[in-house]
Amino acid sequence: MKFFDLLRLILGNLSRRKARVALTAIGVVIGTAAVVILVSLGIGLQKSATDQLYGIGDLTLIDVMPTYGGEGGYYVGSGGGGPAISLSSELQEPALLTNSALEQLRLIPGVKAVIPRDYLGTQTVIRYQRMEGGVNIIGIGTNDLSTLGMEAGQGTTDLAKGTVVIGVMTPYNFYDPYQRPGQETPPPPELLNEQIQLIVIKWDQDGNEIRKTLSLRVTGILNETGGEADYSIYLPLDLVKSMNEWAYGTRINYNKTGYNQVIVKVEDPNQALDIADQITALGFQAISPQSFLQGINNTFLILQLVFGGVGAIALLVAAIGIANTMAMSILERTREIGLMKAVGATNRDVLSIFLGEAAGIGFIGGLGGIIVGWLAAQAINVIAIIYLAGQASQQGGAPPSVAVYTPIWLPIFALIFSTFIGMLSGLYPALRAATMIPVQALKYE
Amino acid sequence: MDSPLIRITDLKKHYQMGGTTVRALDGVSLDIEPHTFTVVMGPSGSGKSSLLYLLGGLDRSTSGQISIGGERLDQMDENALALFRRRTLGFIFQSYNLITSMNAAENVSFPMQFTGIPNAERNQRALQLLEQVGLADRAHHRPAELSGGQQQRVAVARALVNNPSLILADEPTGNLDTASGVTVMQLLSELHRSGRTVLVVTHDPRMTRFATHKIYLLDGHVVDEDEYQSAALEMSQGSNESLEIK
Repeated sequence: MKFFDLLRLILGNLSRRKARVALTAIGVVIGTAAVVILVSLGIGLQKSATDQLYGIGDLTLIDVMPTYGGEGGYYVGSGGGGPAISLSSELQEPALLTNSALEQLRLIPGVKAVIPRDYLGTQTVIRYQRMEGGVNIIGIGTNDLSTLGMEAGQGTTDLAKGTVVIGVMTPYNFYDPYQRPGQETPPPPELLNEQIQLIVIKWDQDGNEIRKTLSLRVTGILNETGGEADYSIYLPLDLVKSMNEWAYGTRINYNKTGYNQVIVKVEDPNQALDIADQITALGFQAISPQSFLQGINNTFLILQLVFGGVGAIALLVAAIGIANTMAMSILERTREIGLMKAVGATNRDVLSIFLGEAAGIGFIGGLGGIIVGWLAAQAINVIAIIYLAGQASQQGGAPPSVAVYTPIWLPIFALIFSTFIGMLSGLYPALRAATMIPVQALKYE
Repeated sequence: MDSPLIRITDLKKHYQMGGTTVRALDGVSLDIEPHTFTVVMGPSGSGKSSLLYLLGGLDRSTSGQISIGGERLDQMDENALALFRRRTLGFIFQSYNLITSMNAAENVSFPMQFTGIPNAERNQRALQLLEQVGLADRAHHRPAELSGGQQQRVAVARALVNNPSLILADEPTGNLDTASGVTVMQLLSELHRSGRTVLVVTHDPRMTRFATHKIYLLDGHVVDEDEYQSAALEMSQGSNESLEIK
């Protein structure tokens, strides 16, 4: 039997029993709509969570730290929904982030940049006019912070000698140490293109405080990242190194001691986990936000499966409805089946016709279900975003861009799945029809 | 003389009914020549319908051989039987077996859906056959809108749609009034004259006037005309012995 003849016959048979087909298909509509809505909700929640994570951490960055040997080193794996970092109890060989190690990292395919960084390890104060503040000082081995994916909200990301690029929250750390009670608290200073003083403090053997002051011009204020960068100021690594040498009174040779931390920037966020694994294999510790993201994704995958499962229960009920309708239909059409066989239909032809009719009910219901599900998802989205935006404005958070998200694969999958469920439900009745003995079918009363 | 189109050898069809073995056919052997009009006569329960269904490959025999055109039906699997029916046979049933939701033309073209013939060609052939049975103006009527005779003529057209060489008819006039019955039998006679082999099972003796050959069945056995007539006479005289169930 040709496919189009089969299709025409199936459509004809379905249209002969419009009311029954429609009533049976309504069950499938409800089941499919439930799958579409619930899975869309799961995906929407995941998207909302991961979008926020994208805001916090650049997924193309991997933090690499040395391993000093002994027990209890970090191991950062790429797998599973479990913790992104696990403690390893194995003995590890020391692996220092020397310049030659950095060269090794640069050779890993997919690595775009390898940038060392260090913290200023002594007490510091920053001063602007009468105001002072504490701040996290990071020395960075690049003269352009955009290499790390950072963006300047004001000014530049370039780091030149005598300049500093600051995090967006840094001005809020300033206070007036001479403020008297009752006096109004000054607003955060506008620091772009202003000179600030960086006061580095150390103590001699007798406990006397020794101060060193550096004058720096603020050439850039970074965009908000939601992370450490917002409360830090960035200086060239050499400057931080020299300040650390002054503070500790000893020369630092990165070729011997290695860097405390290196940032590896990869070309494609999807490669980050693989590259982190390769770095770990070299003996270093590597932490990628991608591994956290994968953990989140795995959690949401479980959530989607649970949601999808709830929808699938509705589809299961619909499937029983299809099976019932098909069984009734076959009972009513027993003589027709006998006739089909008498005029030359093979068992396979009969099976195809009845399976096709069952699949047709699944398809019609699935089509209705994805339309209803999609419309309901859009409605939920509008209502939820209005509600969550209101909540976010009260609590000071960022409003979500999406609450329910229906990716293109979901309706396609739902349609195929509902058709398959229809076919599966019709399998037993169709097999019964196909294997009927023609003479018994023809004599059926 | 042609070699037989149908050769039946020691054909038996037994089945269980409430713990009793019913011998619907009990060692039937016969030959039917091609291009003949054969009427199988027998009272109800004589096994004539069983014979027809076995000849049509719609049922399986208990034992024995059935050969049609040199092909052994008793050795064919379900698929081969279906293809054989499609290629060689046309069926006409007492109760017409038309699909009520389809119109006359759709019913006639229905068997061709399984053959792969294009739709336009199917429609054309159906209309042509309806014209042949005198129902061209009823092509788009559903069975409920047709009389019994008209429905059976639609069934005759349907039986011809795949151009079969053998027509099997089971009590084709059983549900019809006399006039309609004669019309249908005349149609079958025309099919015979056009070169087809026609085999009709009936208990209506009026049908024998169209027949070139007659076969008499009693209690699952082939009998000669004299034996059949005397049995019929006994029945009509109110014999207590049932001719129907052994």
